[in-house]
Amino acid sequence: MQPEKFYYDNKIVRNFGIATVIWGIIGMLVGLIIAIQLYQPAMNMGSQYTSFGRVRPLHTNAVIFAFVGNAIFMGIYYSLQRLMKARMFSDALSKIHFWGWQLIIVSAVITLPLGMTTSHEYAELEWPIDILITIVWVVFGINMFGTIIKRRERHIYVAVWFYIATFVTIAVLHIVNSIEIPVTFTKSYMVFAGVQDALVQWWYGHNAVAFFLTTPYLGMMYYFLPKMANRPIYSYKLSILHFWALIFIYIWAGPHHLLYTTLPGWAQSLGVVFSIMLIAPSWGGMINGLLTLRGAWDKVRDDVTLKFMVVGLTAYGMATFEGPMLSLKQVNAIGHFTDWIIAHVHVGALGWNGFLTFAILYWLIPRIYKTELYSKKLASFHFWIGVLGILFYAIPMYWSGFTQGLMWKEFTPEGMLKYPNFLETTMRILPMHVMRSIGGAMYLSGVLVMAYNLYKTAVQGKLVPDEAAEAMPLERLNPHATTERWHKRLERKPILFLVVSLIVILIGTFVELMPTLTISSNIPTIASVKPYTPLELQGRDLYIREGCSNCHSQTIRPFRSETERYGEYSKAGEFVYDHPFLWGSKRTGPDLQREGGKYGDSWHYNHLMDPRLMSPGSIMPEYSWLLHQKLDTSTTAAKIRAMQKLGVPYPAGYDKIANRDLEKQAQGIADNLAKDHIRTKSNKEIIAVIAYLQRLGTDIKANKTANN
Amino acid sequence: MRSLRYIFLSMIVLGVQPVFAADEGQLLSGDAKNYIGYGAIILTLIVLIIAMLIVLKAFKVVARLLLGPEGATTVKAEKAAAKAERKAARAIRWQKLLSLKPLSEEGSILLEDDYDGIKELDNPTPAWFMALFYVTIAFGIGYLLIYHVFKTAPLQYEEYKIEMADAAKAKAQYLAKAGEKVDENTVKLSTDPAVLADGKSVFTQRCAPCHGDHGQGVVGPNLTDDYWLHGNKINDIFKTIEYGVPAKGMPTWESQLTPKQIADVANYIKSIHGTNPANPKEPQGTKMTDEAGTAKTAMLQK
Repeated sequence: MQPEKFYYDNKIVRNFGIATVIWGIIGMLVGLIIAIQLYQPAMNMGSQYTSFGRVRPLHTNAVIFAFVGNAIFMGIYYSLQRLMKARMFSDALSKIHFWGWQLIIVSAVITLPLGMTTSHEYAELEWPIDILITIVWVVFGINMFGTIIKRRERHIYVAVWFYIATFVTIAVLHIVNSIEIPVTFTKSYMVFAGVQDALVQWWYGHNAVAFFLTTPYLGMMYYFLPKMANRPIYSYKLSILHFWALIFIYIWAGPHHLLYTTLPGWAQSLGVVFSIMLIAPSWGGMINGLLTLRGAWDKVRDDVTLKFMVVGLTAYGMATFEGPMLSLKQVNAIGHFTDWIIAHVHVGALGWNGFLTFAILYWLIPRIYKTELYSKKLASFHFWIGVLGILFYAIPMYWSGFTQGLMWKEFTPEGMLKYPNFLETTMRILPMHVMRSIGGAMYLSGVLVMAYNLYKTAVQGKLVPDEAAEAMPLERLNPHATTERWHKRLERKPILFLVVSLIVILIGTFVELMPTLTISSNIPTIASVKPYTPLELQGRDLYIREGCSNCHSQTIRPFRSETERYGEYSKAGEFVYDHPFLWGSKRTGPDLQREGGKYGDSWHYNHLMDPRLMSPGSIMPEYSWLLHQKLDTSTTAAKIRAMQKLGVPYPAGYDKIANRDLEKQAQGIADNLAKDHIRTKSNKEIIAVIAYLQRLGTDIKANKTANN
Repeated sequence: MRSLRYIFLSMIVLGVQPVFAADEGQLLSGDAKNYIGYGAIILTLIVLIIAMLIVLKAFKVVARLLLGPEGATTVKAEKAAAKAERKAARAIRWQKLLSLKPLSEEGSILLEDDYDGIKELDNPTPAWFMALFYVTIAFGIGYLLIYHVFKTAPLQYEEYKIEMADAAKAKAQYLAKAGEKVDENTVKLSTDPAVLADGKSVFTQRCAPCHGDHGQGVVGPNLTDDYWLHGNKINDIFKTIEYGVPAKGMPTWESQLTPKQIADVANYIKSIHGTNPANPKEPQGTKMTDEAGTAKTAMLQK
């Protein structure tokens, strides 16, 4: 038999590489801007399109799906071809995948600042883009499996196991978390409400971290690290164990994002224990990586790519230990909603994803351009400024998180909150926010240096668009003649591998989601909780548009420090009409679940116009455009009908008269404002926002008075 | 010798530290002094380590002098041999603990598959790693048993009840001891400058955003004129502040201000009556000029 000659497609790798660098710079720059907004509200630039609530999702989407996403595809397209000894299945699909993905990102860059958002974190994009994502993901899957099928390597290597798990799990996560009912072309409502929606979202959110930020990177680590260090992988057995343990256990851990909320206790506890059990499987990857470097540590001293890899793996190890610790409810009670979580995710993002990406770029770009890296010195500078940047970022954020988390909980001996004014705790951490933005700027400057270095490298070399390679074609295997162990056998059956992975991740999914989504006793209803009025519903959608939930939670945990500060703790039945839920995950500002009736309408009017009028020193952006923009009531009927379809009990035919009620309620608020000498028309957006804010949490209050 | 002097010096600094700390109203804040203290402690520890290293070095020099040049080399060689042995033993111990095979034997566990030049070793999963995994699984099972089967530890709502009961008890004890119990029935009118000063600072912080920095009224009503919505007696004002009038936008301050603070600020509000600040808000409520009048209007309103 003759070896076959074929060509690796390097051009697609190069394209994804360029996209990685460009989107990385953009995503991090946006991150830097919003970091500065958190102590310098003027950086919101007085425009609705650049205010924190709208731009923060742009930052997270840009770094996760644009920077990391393109890096994943770069790494997979490079390593998969070589591990399968085959060119990508179809050049056309590769191109569609590349341009489709960039189209998704561009549409995110356009729609998010326009306020088109589902409010689900890391899944903010609206339904048409969701469909586009699904299509592009399927294209990627076909291209990947096509390549695997026509491979010239009998067994599939551990890196590819991780790619397969990534593909199948992200598909499941994306589809389930995007089940929404369109209202208009740019607006939809989530099918699930309240607690159920929260569980679906954090099952998704947590596993997006697992299967977008972790498993593909582990796969890439398994290819690039042994290549860089020229050492064998430390343990094949460890690969098997930690791969299956990781994907099985990860999927269960989502509820640790919802500790002390109204999620049923059993689901919370499952989230806790599976998070703890996740330590060893996560560390398996780090150990297998670091021990692969055994006997090659002298290389680490000189080789900057290996330095990036080692720090990246260490950051991974730290973040995957810290995560389970934060899942313990006693720790979570302090850390949740604070900057501690921001520090935690950035150790992972900057250290693990960032540094691995940089290492791969520095290793791969010179190879596909058949040249040497332009400057080792600049790469070394990038490494050190990057490490310093991470430290300058993370340490102040940890400090800030502890400080604020403890301040929220502190009582005086008289039994009063020591810092009843939320703003006081915010002011205390502003110096740390300044430090953090300095750290972020350092990290970004390193990336700019890298971009220059890689550009110079590319210019001095010449791209090899189609790299020649040879391999023997696969012979037919006599299944009875082999003495393979079971896992080896699985490694040459990619479709079976896909199916088994799917089953493994579906077990946790079903056990956790199904009871909460189907058994009504998990969400006790409350009679006094009524659907939102049309005006409140419109106001709620404005609250979503402005991204208020990026900084304000709407869930009061059963702690003395929270019931004293915010009022009665949340009940599951209060959220049954919340499509989507708006619990938030960070308290840059105070919780708003019981905001209704705390202040007068005119307070809200003035506060939204300029927060510093009512709360001197506040870092909240101003929302002056709400004062001028007319509320779009043409959507009211469609919104009511969509809600009816989702089971919200508006009377039949209410969609036709909803706007009449809306105008009546709006006039009432406008009249109320007029009493305080605020002259405004009742058709402005701010009226709807005030109506919604004044409704928040009042159903339970009403209930209480009725009982008294 | 010099290092000893450093140690003494830092001990003095440390000793003096509490004296500084006790002295209020100094140039340095208490926090800053604490930081100086921590710095001094860390510095002392570093100096101590350096001193110990110097003493060690000195011993070595003395030993070499006492043993003479030949003695020194033999001892050195013996020591080097012992050290190499210890190092080897330690390496083996580490390798055992980490379940590592010596690098030289690696060839025997190299697997035959070759993925684009990447080979794999057939090392076992490290024993400590497996131990860690089993311990976390045991923790998980134990956790579920404790919280959901035997129910020996409280879940969140029960935890909350316990926390609130403990807090109520602690609060009652403290208030009884501190004699700070004031409420709307026992609050007394006061013109004590200290009380008014305390009240003013609370007012500037909490009330001024809505009532104006001079009480002239902004979103909230004017507090300096003769017109009152909820009574002008000190008890009425106390009550209005304590429970608020949520329907009209006046927040409840019960959980944010101590009873004494409420009393202070109520007295401050009484004290600014009739000050006629600039830009007053138009009158709201009923005219009440004195304490008797209040009672009358209140009755009429009923």
